[in-house]
Amino acid sequence: MNLLTRLHKMPFWSWLWFILGALYFLLPLLATFEFSISWDPADPLKAYTRVFADKDFWETFMYSNLLAVATILVNVILIVPTAYWIRLRVPEARRLVEFITLLPFVVPAIILVFGLIGVYSSPFKVPFTELTFLEPLTTFKFGTNILIVAGYMVLAMPYMYRSVDTGMRTVDVRTLTEAAQSLGANWFTIITRVILPNVRAALLSGALLTFAIVVGEVTLASFLGVDAFGPYLFLLGQHRAYEPAALSFFSFLLTWVAMGLIQLFTGGQGQAAGAH
Amino acid sequence: MAYLTLSNISKQFVDTYAVQDFNLDVEKGEFVSFLGPSGCGKTTTLRMVAGFENPTTGKITLDNSDITNKAPNQRNVGMVFQSYALFPNMTVAQNIGFGLRVRREKESAIKDRVKEMLSIINLESRGDSFPYQLSGGQQQRVALARALAIRPQVLLLDEPLSALDAKIRVALRAEIRSIQQRLGITTIYVTHDQEEALSLSDRIVVMNVGVIEQVGTPFQIYNFPETAFVASFVGTLNTGTAEVLDPAKGLLDLDGVQLASADDLNSRQKGDKVRMAIRPERFSFVSEEKKANVIDCKIENITFLGSIVRIQVIIGKTKFYMDTFNNPFLELPKIGDQTQITCSREAVLVLGDAPELGN
Repeated sequence: MNLLTRLHKMPFWSWLWFILGALYFLLPLLATFEFSISWDPADPLKAYTRVFADKDFWETFMYSNLLAVATILVNVILIVPTAYWIRLRVPEARRLVEFITLLPFVVPAIILVFGLIGVYSSPFKVPFTELTFLEPLTTFKFGTNILIVAGYMVLAMPYMYRSVDTGMRTVDVRTLTEAAQSLGANWFTIITRVILPNVRAALLSGALLTFAIVVGEVTLASFLGVDAFGPYLFLLGQHRAYEPAALSFFSFLLTWVAMGLIQLFTGGQGQAAGAH
Repeated sequence: MAYLTLSNISKQFVDTYAVQDFNLDVEKGEFVSFLGPSGCGKTTTLRMVAGFENPTTGKITLDNSDITNKAPNQRNVGMVFQSYALFPNMTVAQNIGFGLRVRREKESAIKDRVKEMLSIINLESRGDSFPYQLSGGQQQRVALARALAIRPQVLLLDEPLSALDAKIRVALRAEIRSIQQRLGITTIYVTHDQEEALSLSDRIVVMNVGVIEQVGTPFQIYNFPETAFVASFVGTLNTGTAEVLDPAKGLLDLDGVQLASADDLNSRQKGDKVRMAIRPERFSFVSEEKKANVIDCKIENITFLGSIVRIQVIIGKTKFYMDTFNNPFLELPKIGDQTQITCSREAVLVLGDAPELGN
């Protein structure tokens, strides 16, 4: 049955709820777009031109993108083996780990950032001596970057862990591992060539959510004093009218492009997993 | 020395033994099946050979080399799983070549080997397909080819046909046996399906609650079961409690019906209660032929099963089944008829002491 035939067979109420839902999401977006092009009727894209011409925009945007990529990489390295090992060897620990991954929902970002600042703004000394083996992380750029990526890892953990765990649920991780082992594969080969490719879609979903969280994040970036995209957007919103609307619409487009890329890169995987 | 040896193998999980004192020698090229009900320890034993479980005690040697504590990826043992376990992200050819790539063999050698394996499993045209594009039977053939591609010293199959429908199961088991014989590979096959074990194996290991009940050829296991469990698990079996009448002559009394057995009863006393058994197909009507035991009985029920007809008879107070080939010209008795059936002395098996009745 092709898509058109299926759409024709959809009952009235399904259509109604679908249209209402679509309007709920699309109308604000449309209003934002409409507002963003209403600055100068002679030059509807003026807000966009101004934003893209701003050096600060590119600097903060690229910096936040780098932070997002770093967060995703470290999260993948930390979470994929953890979720894999829990499924394979310690399934009884799953509830505990799920609880831990949900903690960022009950511990607000403000608490997290003050905790990080409190712990890492003093030098680390060798116990019982006055010798310093690590300067306060908040006093130099690389140290602050480590802190902010660590904070973002915590904030993104529920999304990344759940995506990966759900992905692993769709494949028989234990049997695939044993099959690979019996063929001579070591742990590194198993994770990189068998497990990761089969949770690719879940991993990309988690990465997209992490990206969205990191790029727009304000609290951690503001209190750690880094020039990230979130605080830039916040400041812009306080002083300008049209540019923030243009940026919001741009962010939406970016998210859609990311979602499209996920579909492109994971095409057919759902079928494979389903068949399994 | 045997090619694969399992000596005094035990496996304990917390406070229960899954396998206890398991001893087995497997010769090179032999096809051995582990047969038993769920939870009897057959899969655990297989997993210990594969290296996925470590024995609590005992030793496993393969070609004179101790592999007891070797990691699974260092054993050179191929394994086929019930759920196929094909890598969904790889094509059929990539699946088959996976083990060879892990071993860093030359790409041209991998290509040749994959081609050879595809031809063995008759899937030459499906090398570029993904597992989800294949039927269950085809997927299991690919899994078999993948396990064989690495030229394992032993091939392990863990209920490989359980997920397939009956017709494919029969076809594939013949294919597995044919490939095994062609390649001469030592094989251990785990199943709870007695028909599979009987039709495939050179030898069968019948297991129950973690211990070996009997090891023997399919012929020995079926016709000469050594324990009551083997007798009841393999094939259909009529059992009853009889009293020893004359140990020297092998005479038994079953509810007032005298039966002669070829089994040795010399260790027993007159009046001992024993558990006896007769396979349904060992009975025939006296009108057809007369054997050592002629038994009066009453026809209780008749069931048509296609190639055979199963007749339930009452001998004394015990209900027995009798199987006879479906012959359109055979005149079957009617339900309620009194008739005579017969069986040889060899058909009457004495399995051991009769179980004592509870209070």
